[in-house]
Amino acid sequence: MQPAATHEQFRHAILPEMTIDEAARQDFVKSLKYYLATEVSPGNAMAFENRVRPAFEARERRPPRDHHEIRRAMQADPYFKLWSSMQRSSQEMMWASVITPVERQLDTLIAKAKSLPPAGGTLTLDPDLPIPSYHAAVDIHCMPGGYHTEFAPDDVAEGAIYDRAVYIYTMGRMSPYNDDIGASQVAWIRRQFPDFKPKRILDMGCTVGHSTIPYAEAYPDADIYGIDIGAPVLRYAHARAESLGYKVHYSQQNAEHTNFPNGFFDLIVSHIMVHETSNTAFRKIMAESQRLLTEGGIVVHSETPPYKDLPAFDAFMLDWDTLNNNEPYWGASHELDFKKLAADAGFDPDKQFTALAPSAFEEGEARRTKVFQGGDFGGGGVWFLFGFRK
Amino acid sequence: MAETSLRLPRKPKGERPQYFPDPAVDKLISIILSLAGEVAVMHDRHDTLERIMAARGLVSRDDIESFSATREVLAERDRWREAFLAEVLRVVRQDREMLERETPRTYQSVVESVEV
Repeated sequence: MQPAATHEQFRHAILPEMTIDEAARQDFVKSLKYYLATEVSPGNAMAFENRVRPAFEARERRPPRDHHEIRRAMQADPYFKLWSSMQRSSQEMMWASVITPVERQLDTLIAKAKSLPPAGGTLTLDPDLPIPSYHAAVDIHCMPGGYHTEFAPDDVAEGAIYDRAVYIYTMGRMSPYNDDIGASQVAWIRRQFPDFKPKRILDMGCTVGHSTIPYAEAYPDADIYGIDIGAPVLRYAHARAESLGYKVHYSQQNAEHTNFPNGFFDLIVSHIMVHETSNTAFRKIMAESQRLLTEGGIVVHSETPPYKDLPAFDAFMLDWDTLNNNEPYWGASHELDFKKLAADAGFDPDKQFTALAPSAFEEGEARRTKVFQGGDFGGGGVWFLFGFRK
Repeated sequence: MAETSLRLPRKPKGERPQYFPDPAVDKLISIILSLAGEVAVMHDRHDTLERIMAARGLVSRDDIESFSATREVLAERDRWREAFLAEVLRVVRQDREMLERETPRTYQSVVESVEV
């Protein structure tokens, strides 16, 4: 079953408009990505089994030990090279297909972001916040300019680009609101901790707030906060939340070091943020979470599964983004030692937990490939959660 | 029409991976895929148009074949082709943007810097 047509994304007030040609170009990118994931990518496993692994074993007299050895062997394979080249191109085409309409209507989007009817949320920016090197060195997931670059006064371009591209990147499988990670994670938290009633919730690395809103829905009495290092995505997140009628407090802060008081939050969450930091930064984020949590508070992060939980070839395919899609920390973040991180940050390692949360978006089910692989994000139908209780 | 002359970059900052011995092969793959995308865009638009026209009984195939373009129409088509080429040749523009903007830095050095 082909993924959702791109016009099925929910048209909130700040979503960019597409001409019919722009929409057709985005539909093509979605079809290309789906074709690459379902018809081209499976050939990589065949290339591995039929020629790369036999050649490796003939040479080394043993099977490859891990995904690193598989990668080194596969990198010279012509089929893998061709798929990789097309996959990289499809990613660049995706951003371009979204940037063109945003570029065309940027003045309108900036004006709209300022004029939406208020829902009570706030936006606090810090123009002096240093952009951390793990965002400044390369543009994460090949998004030109990353989350932080500003092209005009009061710019929202990167927010508009990201919101639209997430829908195309996941081929609509994270719901019309792009909220599946947040919705699945909060559903899991409510099942796991039925008596837990957080009063204040922090979403770290919230970007456009697509994963933040499910917490406002699930805990309507809680105060909801979202932080990110990028001003354009936060302006957009604020406008998006207000237009959807949710009260969220967004501020421009680095999760390694925030200005909230000790013990301010009962629940701290992030959604595919960890892999966009660094080993050093994430250790600081852990320590900051420990400081910010009240006694009995919980922190939960979602990512794709750690490599140790996957067959080595699948780990190799999931690891494609590390070297090919400007996700430098993707690989190392999939090999974290959670118990050690807990202990180092002052959490009780016995209260560290991991879980697989099924997707909350059931309509996406028929459109999933059930595979964790590069270029097929949201295809697995399950989110990997890890967390800590204070 | 664009609201401003502002141009947003298409080149993600960072070294672009090279898959084939000659980097031109990677660029050709990108160009061909983009071209396929533009063909699909045209196809969708034609399909829309022909369905509307057929439904309303407005235009026959002969009407299309015998159409003669004015100078203004030809100029408009020139402008369209320019935008079309910018889309198809985006990877070449990325090379130019890198030359204009980035200090050379290997991707491996970035991976190492975040794994410290």
